[in-house]
Amino acid sequence: MPSIVRTFAWLEGLGWTTALRESPYGYPLIETSHVACIVVFAGLVIMMDLRLVGLAFTNAPLAQIQRRLFPWQMATFVPSTATGILLFCVDPLRYYRNVFFLAKLVLLVLAGLNALAFHLKTYRRADRWDEDSQVTALARFAGAASLLLWSATIISSRLIPNNWFK
Amino acid sequence: MLPFFQWCDGLAMSQAYRDSTYLFPLTQALHILAVTVFVGAVVIGDMWMLGWGPVGQSRTSIARSAQRVLLWAGLAVLVTGIPQFTTNALTYQRSWLFVLKMYLLAVTLVFTATVRWRVSIAEEGRLPSWVTRAVGAVSLSLWMAVTISGRLITYYG
Amino acid sequence: MKTKLFLLLLAVGAFCAVQPAQAHHAFAAEYDPMKPVTLNGIVTRMEWANPHGWIFMDTKESDGKVKHWTIETAAPSQLSRHGLKKADFTDGMTAVVKGYQGKNDPGLANGRTLVLKDGRSFYIGSVGGPNDGAEPQ
Repeated sequence: MPSIVRTFAWLEGLGWTTALRESPYGYPLIETSHVACIVVFAGLVIMMDLRLVGLAFTNAPLAQIQRRLFPWQMATFVPSTATGILLFCVDPLRYYRNVFFLAKLVLLVLAGLNALAFHLKTYRRADRWDEDSQVTALARFAGAASLLLWSATIISSRLIPNNWFK
Repeated sequence: MLPFFQWCDGLAMSQAYRDSTYLFPLTQALHILAVTVFVGAVVIGDMWMLGWGPVGQSRTSIARSAQRVLLWAGLAVLVTGIPQFTTNALTYQRSWLFVLKMYLLAVTLVFTATVRWRVSIAEEGRLPSWVTRAVGAVSLSLWMAVTISGRLITYYG
Repeated sequence: MKTKLFLLLLAVGAFCAVQPAQAHHAFAAEYDPMKPVTLNGIVTRMEWANPHGWIFMDTKESDGKVKHWTIETAAPSQLSRHGLKKADFTDGMTAVVKGYQGKNDPGLANGRTLVLKDGRSFYIGSVGGPNDGAEPQ
């Protein structure tokens, strides 16, 4: 796919991506924000998942926890993604060839689809989440899948700097 | 402290982590995961204290549940952290940001284990709301400061 | 019970406080502290970049063959702190780099000091490198 390489090379050569790549303050700021936002975002998602699978917060109604956490999850997801895109643009040629980065993207999409599917299936019955046994079963599955997917995403991200595969 | 760092450096476990290509990165990845769960439990508790969660009975039970998660995640952080620490302490102790993070984290942990522990599970109305909010705000700020100071070591340490 | 909790949390803190929070490779997992190298050659390219800079250098082996080296340096903020500037590099210039060879990649090295043709010497090591005295106090 030579046109992708050309696009990425062009991206890498742009004034603003070069400036960011070489900056003593900008890049550290973006990278630190990326990690901080992700840790909070994923932490809250995992808390929700623990409730879904029934491992924690079992005294609180499912719908109540979800309603309270969701805005904060969205609020931290947006800067996580924005900073992630910026970081990618700084060195696209390196990242697109990195197996752990590609795995991270795939896992992210899967985690998002899992969350979307759960919401679509259960949103109309939100008031009866805790009494509806079908929702409970769905919740357990979605929660477990989410825990697995987000854990794998985090682990994959941490392995990006390793040059195990050339 | 230096003799202690030297002792850590000389452990067989430290050498094993230096010799292996995979041990350190994998342990570190699991460590980050444990830290994420830990921070999740801290943030949910802090949010509730700041008044951004449900009120009444459920706040206390949520806080108690969060504390259980905190302990288990904390244990995982510890277990995955020890080998990383022993293998690197001797080299990292030259970095001022590293030392700063060390002190910051010690302070934050003492605060979390004492003041925050009690305030987060206090019954609704037992404490003036400004106290609860203040503790939540301080906790959130301290943990974010710990995270941030650690990340900045590469750039300014 | 409370005391145990307290002590446990303190221990957690103390230990994770000293994590190389540069959540990044540990030096010893990727580079061999037992394999110091001194590279005297031509800098074909230098990438002044975050989170690490890269010096690409060609050296002549004893058998006359050219060896290509990829040398990792600290981030721009660190390089500047030790007096180095992006303008100090020109493609094709000669330089001497001292560092440690990669464990899995013999053409990779972690740079510790750089000496330019005009004799100026700079510390280019990343945080977490070995206690070899290269870092100025």
